[in-house]
Order: sequence, then C-alpha cells, then structure tokens
Amino acid sequence: MKKKMNRRTFLKYSAAVGATTAMAGAPTLLRAQAPEIKIASIQPVTGVISDIGISMRRGNQMAVDDINARGGIKSMGGAKLRLLLGDSEAKEDVARSEAERVIKDGAVTLVGPFLSGNAMAIATLCEQRGVPFVMDVAAADDITRKGFKYTFRVFPTTTKFADSMLFYMDKIMKEKNISRIRGVVTNTGDLFGRVQGATFIKVLKEKKFPIEVLGHIEYPLGIQDLSAEISKIKALKPEVLFPVARPGDAKLMIRELYKQRVELQGIISPGSPGWYEPEFIRDMKVLADYVMDNVPWYNPVGKMYKEVNAAFAKKFPGKYIDTNSGYAYLGVLVIADALERAKSTKPDDIVAALKKTYLKQDLMVGLAVAFDEKGDNINADTAMIQIIGQSIKVVLPEKAAETKYVYPMPKQIWDRGA
Amino acid sequence: MDLNLVLQLATSGFLLGGVYSLIALGLSLIFGVMKVINFAHGAMLVWGMYIAFTLMNWTGIDPFFSFVASAGGLFVLGYFIQRTVVNRIMTFHEAMQVIAMVGVMMILENMAQLIWGPDPHSPHTRYSLSTIWLGSVMIDIPRLFAFLLAILMAAAVFVFLKYTDIGKSIRASADNRIGALIVGTNVNRVYAVCFGVGAACVGAAGSLLVPLMPISPHTGFPFKLTSFAIVILGGMGSLPGAMIGGLIIGVAESVGSVFIPSSLKQIISFGIMILILLLRPQGLFGGKGS
Repeated sequence: MKKKMNRRTFLKYSAAVGATTAMAGAPTLLRAQAPEIKIASIQPVTGVISDIGISMRRGNQMAVDDINARGGIKSMGGAKLRLLLGDSEAKEDVARSEAERVIKDGAVTLVGPFLSGNAMAIATLCEQRGVPFVMDVAAADDITRKGFKYTFRVFPTTTKFADSMLFYMDKIMKEKNISRIRGVVTNTGDLFGRVQGATFIKVLKEKKFPIEVLGHIEYPLGIQDLSAEISKIKALKPEVLFPVARPGDAKLMIRELYKQRVELQGIISPGSPGWYEPEFIRDMKVLADYVMDNVPWYNPVGKMYKEVNAAFAKKFPGKYIDTNSGYAYLGVLVIADALERAKSTKPDDIVAALKKTYLKQDLMVGLAVAFDEKGDNINADTAMIQIIGQSIKVVLPEKAAETKYVYPMPKQIWDRGA
Repeated sequence: MDLNLVLQLATSGFLLGGVYSLIALGLSLIFGVMKVINFAHGAMLVWGMYIAFTLMNWTGIDPFFSFVASAGGLFVLGYFIQRTVVNRIMTFHEAMQVIAMVGVMMILENMAQLIWGPDPHSPHTRYSLSTIWLGSVMIDIPRLFAFLLAILMAAAVFVFLKYTDIGKSIRASADNRIGALIVGTNVNRVYAVCFGVGAACVGAAGSLLVPLMPISPHTGFPFKLTSFAIVILGGMGSLPGAMIGGLIIGVAESVGSVFIPSSLKQIISFGIMILILLLRPQGLFGGKGS
C-alpha cells in the first residue's frame, strides 16, 4: 500500500526532521569542544560468568570516567576517552565478532576480556586488523606465546601464578614443619581452568616439589552439581584441596564438602576467582573461613587502592575492588598512559608507547606495570589471601600481610555448626 | 572399585533424577500435545528458582513450601507465552518455531539478569546443609525432599490429566486435534492450559533446586540439554517415559563420573540418547511410529 505525499504529511515530516535535528544538534556542539578517543571494553557481561563480566566492565568504565574527570589525555588537547562496550557472552566466536564490531566503530585500542579463550580469539583478530589489545585479566600462558605484536597483558601468567604458589607453599610447609602434602587438584574445563590446573601440576613435577597430587578432577564451567566430584575427592583422602574455580562452583564445592564431611587440613587455591567475591562470603558465612587463594590482589596499603576502592564501593554498594575489577581499572590506566605518551591514535604509535610503559601504581600487589618482549607485565604479582572471621586478609608475602595465615584449619568445615 | 563411592553416587544421582524427571515431564507434556519444543524450558526453570528465592527473602518461606507459588507463577507465565507466542507458531515449520522459542528464552534469561542481577545466589535455608547417614552413605536432606516433592508434583499432574475435564481435553487434543475441535473442545484454551501446566512443572522443579545449587540467570541451560536427552530416552511426549528417563539419566550421569572425567559428564546423557536413537528411535515408552 502506497501513500501519497500531500501538504499535511509533508509538513508533519518536516516538523519531525526539524525537531530531531535541533535535539541532536545541541550535544554535537558540546562534544565538538574536545576531541574524543574511542577505546573498547569487551567483557563477558552476559552468559555463564556474567557476574564477573559486569564487575570488569564497571572497573573499565570507572577508570575511563576518572581519567576524563582529571582532564582526559592532556598531550592530545585534553581529548576525552569514550568507552565502547562489547559483550562476549563468554563465547569465543562472539568475542571475536564483538571485537570486529568495535574496531569498525573506531576503537583505537581494546581492553578485556577476563576469559583466556576469548582473549585468544580477540588477540588473533587484533593482530590481523593491526589494533592494540591490552588484556586486563586473562592468564593462560599461550596467548602471549604466539608472537603477537599488538597484544599486551597486565595480568600475571599461569606460570607466574604457579611459581608464586610454590613460593608461598614452601614458606608455609617450612614454618609448619611439614615435609609432604597429599593433595587433589580440581579445575573448571574452560581454557583458563585447564591451563591453571595443568600448569600448577606441571611445575610441581618439574621442581619435584613435595606436594603429591593424588587426583586431578576437571568439571565443566557452569556445573550445577558437584556431589559426584566431591565423593571422588573424599575417596582419595587428600590433606589439602587445590581448587581452580569460578563463583558458582566454589559455593557448590564448599557445601558438598560440608555435607559429605570431607576431612581436610586446608583449601588452598593456586589462583582463581570464586573465593574472594563478596557473594561467596555472604552466602557461605563461617564455611568460607580459612580458604586461601593465591591471587593478584589489591594492595591494602596503596593510596590509589584506597581512593579507587572508596569510589567503587560508593558507586556499587556491597561491592569492593577485587582482582578482576582492580585489574580492569589498571588495564584502562595503561592504555591512557600509552595514549598520553604516544600523542597519537595511530596503532603503531600506541604499540611503541605501550612497549615503553612504566606505570607506577599501588592499586594492586606488584610493582610498576612494564612489559617484556612478549607483552607480559613483568611486575605482575600475586598475594596469598585467606578468609579469616569472614573477611579477606592478605597473609603472604609478609611485607604486605595484614595478619598471619591459619594452617591447618582449626575446625573442619562440617564441624562449624552452620 | 570403591563400592561405597558407587553407592554414594547412585543415591545422589537417583535423588536428583527425580527433579530431572519433573523438568522433563513439563517438556514432554508440551511437546506431546503441541508438537512445539520449548527451548525456553531452562529459562523457565530459572524463573521458578528466582520466585522461590524472592519469596524466601521477603517472607522467609522455605522453597520446599513456596514451590507451589513458583508453579503458580510459571503457570501464568506459560499460559501467557502460549497465547502470545506459541499459538501463533504452532502450524509453522519446526525451524521457525525454534527461532521464536529461542527468542523467548533470551528474553526470559536477560530479564532475570536485569531484575535479580548476575551474581550467583546460594541462599541458606533451614535444611540446605542437613544430611543423614545410612552407614557410610550420605543422604542429602534437601535432595531427598526435592525428590519426594518432585514425585508428588508429577503424580498430581498425572491425576490432573487423567481425571479432570480439562485434563481429558488436553489428552484428547493431543490424540486428535481435529476430532477434539469437532466435538466442541476449545482447543486454544486447552493448549494454553497445557503449556501452563508444563511451565508449572519446571517452575516447581526450579524452586526445589534452590537449596541445592547457586541461582544465576544462566543456571537453566545444562538442565535444558539434559531434559532433551531424557525426553528422547523416555519417548517424545510420553509422560511415564520422562519420569523413568529422568531417574536413569540422573543415576547414569552420577555413577558414570567414576569411569570418565567429570568434564565429559554430558557425554553420558547424550551417549545414551544416541544409543536409544539407534536402537529404539521411539524411546523406551514411545509407541510405534511416534
């Protein structure tokens, strides 16, 4: 059905077009005052790991807002950063297509994406398109072993995790006069989980470290029932459980350990989420106590940490800066610092500036951010944290420790009267 | 092989299987009557969970009582979805039905994320950590309750279908749509009620799972896949098939993890599904040619 254009419809449309132009015109005038640089955040904001994805996006966005509030990129006339948002849905193919989209939309650098598998997909694309990519969180060693020129990682690698873990375990075992620990390693079946679990076991073997791995249990990401896995762990009779988890399965695991009355001296994660999020302690209460986790943690005495955390907690009540939101914030700072020194948005200038990064920070444990030839942050480090009295404390290294670690657990999980 | 371990796994699997059965019952009922595959089944499970969770937070009612409210809420939702979406696509090609149902799934999942947020919740209920021990085998009390209530709910659905007028109309419409129309059945209403009952089953199951596992907007997905396998194992549209299939898959998934890595767990349910498709394509309880 066709409509003829008469005087009335013509007037109606003209008025509508006029009004739209007037409304759209005003912000254009305002925006024209300072140039704008687009960067993009790709995080798993929906899908199986959306809780962490949203926390990461908030970290990215808050850093952008803070930089803009401090006057933007000064070397480029106070250019403001604009964060384009991408959602990987925790899927590799979506991560890639989202990266493609934000690059088309004009993003000069990408930041993200929490999941190592997604990081690999984005890094490969960025290499093809010649767009710099700064990984805020993603640990799998392999990503930076491909010889990519445009990819940088602020987060520690899985090998770094394993080395720190052994360093801390050595200290605990020496101080407590333990000659040997019989343990079980568990991990989720995604790329990070597999690599983190396998690297821990590999490094134990290579260094002939006195932790005997009685069993290695892997289960799918997003699992809903861990009763069979915990029954298997119970049958192996380990002294210590070394779990690489995610928020949902960490809770399932603790509850099943309680129900099946698994006797353990400790639960010490070689480094994974699940154990430090506010929701874990909120839901598990006393059962959460004495869990240890070897993670890139915030620096409890850092000035930057205190400022950022205060703002973050105010903006998102009930939340605090943790490994993920902290590194998400830091990732954007690294990009802004590179843009400041590059004085350009050309990819090669940004990459050249990123290579020379030396960004002092006391937001996270570890020294200034600086990249090696592979693009890994040589100063990224981990701390051993422990939940004591339902709050998280840094227990190792001693120079950052808020309190002394408790090992073995003074009370079994099932003996805590939950 | 450790006999205790196998017994433990079989017990846990059997009890969870009861809830699987209830989920699959809803799916099978909807398919049996309308020949529409409800891809939003997992998302509906999540809504059942969140309704029970919200009631628990507001009023302190235990999910083992509020499963009635979850079932009621999901009945209304199911009725609405049937009237607005499913009724319009029933005569379409299967591939087109899938698109619409996946759309419903995405809307429900993301609405749940908007309303309740992305963080997984593991609310502490009075029984959520209770256990009883039979020798060295642990019986998880919430799992036992979930099993018993799931069986009770399933029995109620059977009674509803067999003895009530609307239940008889549902069975009549499933057997012969034209025949049901000729004798004056209001088929559209029957279908909407049937979709509602299917949704109520999965809603109740969601509520029963609250003390057992963390609730998050995407919890439903693995259950949806498993319930597809169960429905195929039991026979598409067969209600006793869904019940028995649920128990078989529950035990097989649990005990199977002794022999294969847990990360390959789903191989078991899908392996059984492929076997049944090869050897008895109509399923254990499916009639010839169904």
